Amino acid sequence: MVVLRAGLCPGLTEDMIQLLRANGIRTVVDFVSSDLEDVAQKCSLSYKALVAVRRVLLAQFSAFPANGADLYEELKSSTAILPTGSPSLDQLLDSGLYTGEVTELMGAPGSGKTQVCLGIAASVSLGLKQHVLFLDSTGGFTASRLYQMLQARTEDEEEQARQVLGRLRLCSVLQLEALQRIQVVRVFNIYELLRALQELRDRLSQQVVSSMGPLKMVLLDSVSAVIYPLLGGRQSEGLALMMHLSRELKTLAREFSLAVVVTNQVTRDSSSGPLKPALGRSWSFVPSTRVLLESKEATWDKASTQRAATLAKSPRQPTGIQVELDIG
Amino acid sequence: MQREVGTLPLAPALRARLAAAGFQTAQELLDTGPCGLSKEIGISREEALEALQVVRQECHGDAARTAGGSGATRKCTALELLEEEQTQGFIITFCSALDNILGGGVQLTKITEICGAPGVGKTQLCMQLAVDVQIPECFGGVAGEAVFIDTEGSFMVDRVVDIAAACVQHCHLIAEAQQEEDLGKALETFSVENILSHIYYFRCRDYTELLAQVYLLPEFLSEHSKVRLVVIDGIAFPFRHDFEDLSLRTRLLNGLAQQLIIIANDHRSAVVLTNQMTTRIGQSQSTLVPALGESWGHAATVRLIFHWDNSQRLATLYKSPSQKESTIAYHITSHGFRDVQPPAVTHSTEGPELNPRKRPRTEEEKQ
Repeated sequence: MVVLRAGLCPGLTEDMIQLLRANGIRTVVDFVSSDLEDVAQKCSLSYKALVAVRRVLLAQFSAFPANGADLYEELKSSTAILPTGSPSLDQLLDSGLYTGEVTELMGAPGSGKTQVCLGIAASVSLGLKQHVLFLDSTGGFTASRLYQMLQARTEDEEEQARQVLGRLRLCSVLQLEALQRIQVVRVFNIYELLRALQELRDRLSQQVVSSMGPLKMVLLDSVSAVIYPLLGGRQSEGLALMMHLSRELKTLAREFSLAVVVTNQVTRDSSSGPLKPALGRSWSFVPSTRVLLESKEATWDKASTQRAATLAKSPRQPTGIQVELDIG
Repeated sequence: MQREVGTLPLAPALRARLAAAGFQTAQELLDTGPCGLSKEIGISREEALEALQVVRQECHGDAARTAGGSGATRKCTALELLEEEQTQGFIITFCSALDNILGGGVQLTKITEICGAPGVGKTQLCMQLAVDVQIPECFGGVAGEAVFIDTEGSFMVDRVVDIAAACVQHCHLIAEAQQEEDLGKALETFSVENILSHIYYFRCRDYTELLAQVYLLPEFLSEHSKVRLVVIDGIAFPFRHDFEDLSLRTRLLNGLAQQLIIIANDHRSAVVLTNQMTTRIGQSQSTLVPALGESWGHAATVRLIFHWDNSQRLATLYKSPSQKESTIAYHITSHGFRDVQPPAVTHSTEGPELNPRKRPRTEEEKQ
């Protein structure tokens, strides 16, 4: 639906555009789908010129089909599997988070979504030394908790370092470096989120080697906090924005080989119905893998750090597998 | 790929017209210019100029954006955040057990929700916090002011006077014990009248007033930059009655939550909300759960649930990004919110472990 403008391609002059517009052809789609002989007669333009313009426009605007085998080769070489730092969760996700895909974690309040996200960020930043972008829309990102997790993870390495180098200071350097690789952006409404994603895309496509470095993971906590205020009511604007967001996330994941993790809420139909993921059916098509986190205890009287993770949707594993997680 | 027209923060009617005219990306809008735009979609030149202004702001990255204000993206590395958090203060509650499970007290820049049955002490804690936020820094406080938004009408000034008097007396005792100059100086300005004059009280009678008050709060806070605590006592009350359209309620609550998070973050203040409890009737039993539904549970970053166990009041930390779930007991005395006094034990047996809760309270004020 691109509007025809002078200079869109060589051979498309302002006069041509005025003549075409007078006959009801305003966009590229109108032009390409109309009968050029007819147009040439009505607008008194040369048929050859119109055909040349059409060829250029088609080359510019159409999508190219790709061979299945080529696609497979490309996928094999560009997909990476990132471990989440928790062996049971890795087992649930078929050895980890796949780049090029959107994974969703959903759960009730207090079920541990933010903790799992922090754990993933810590594991990718410390273990794989890759950069991580954390988009925080709930204000739940606590750097001291992240530091605690990093400390817990470097304890094994501490032993080795002590034996090899005899110096403990090396480990805190590792943690500080890991913290520097995690960039946190606070986005509290949908437009800020879209702007942040656009900035990320610009940065990645220009391949600016800035403090960002090789980015492999984008975590969004939580997507429902920014979309919920828009949904419902008479306007369908909320759904449109949600679809724009989903398209941004998926193209980012696919084009730049990133693993995208989002967290979502759960709601109930009525006060006694079963829990279901928020944002409705339209959103359910966006993530390729969905994991539900639950507390083991039904009431809030007893405290524990055990959580149960169930696979609700996956392209690779059978659904319904459940593992236990410790978010302590 | 360019920024699509559908994702720009323009009015919906304008967006619909742009889509009908065939504009797809922001770059096309900028290329067309205001005259062309007003001709294409039939709006006045001023409107076209305004729209292009918005588009330009959205698309031109950090360079064009001025520092500060709501337009700047809040970007930093985790390391910088860690340093920020370590220097941030907490608002103590005078109940050391509760402060311990919260990790030092009520955290700034986060939303804390207190849920509980009627009479368990939610408003008492709010009033205590409104006084405690004003404790000078040399005593371990954050030296800020408080905004108290009351929807239920349960704010009792004479009670706040009692709490403030007890707090001032406590600080005097510490100053005398420590005999330091700056403590004495800080105490000159820390009096009951001063405390009361720094609590800004708003009374909201229904949900429209509450929403209006919260949306106008950023302006108020930029004038009163010392405010470090915003209390909304009774966020459930205006939303629970006479609401026919539940989806509207969810939408309004979520918008409110996002607005509160923005306030907490931009003005570095703590936001404390109180919520009521409702009964969920399950298959075989009924349980008490916080009101306002499942989606509201995600609004608060930290959730405390106050409940009774026979005649003892208990507080459970149910949701927190950095602390474990745990339960402690507390007490409400004439001085305000306090620890449970352990029963009088014979002094010979336990030695220095005796009354562990009494000793940490004085040490805490020193921090």
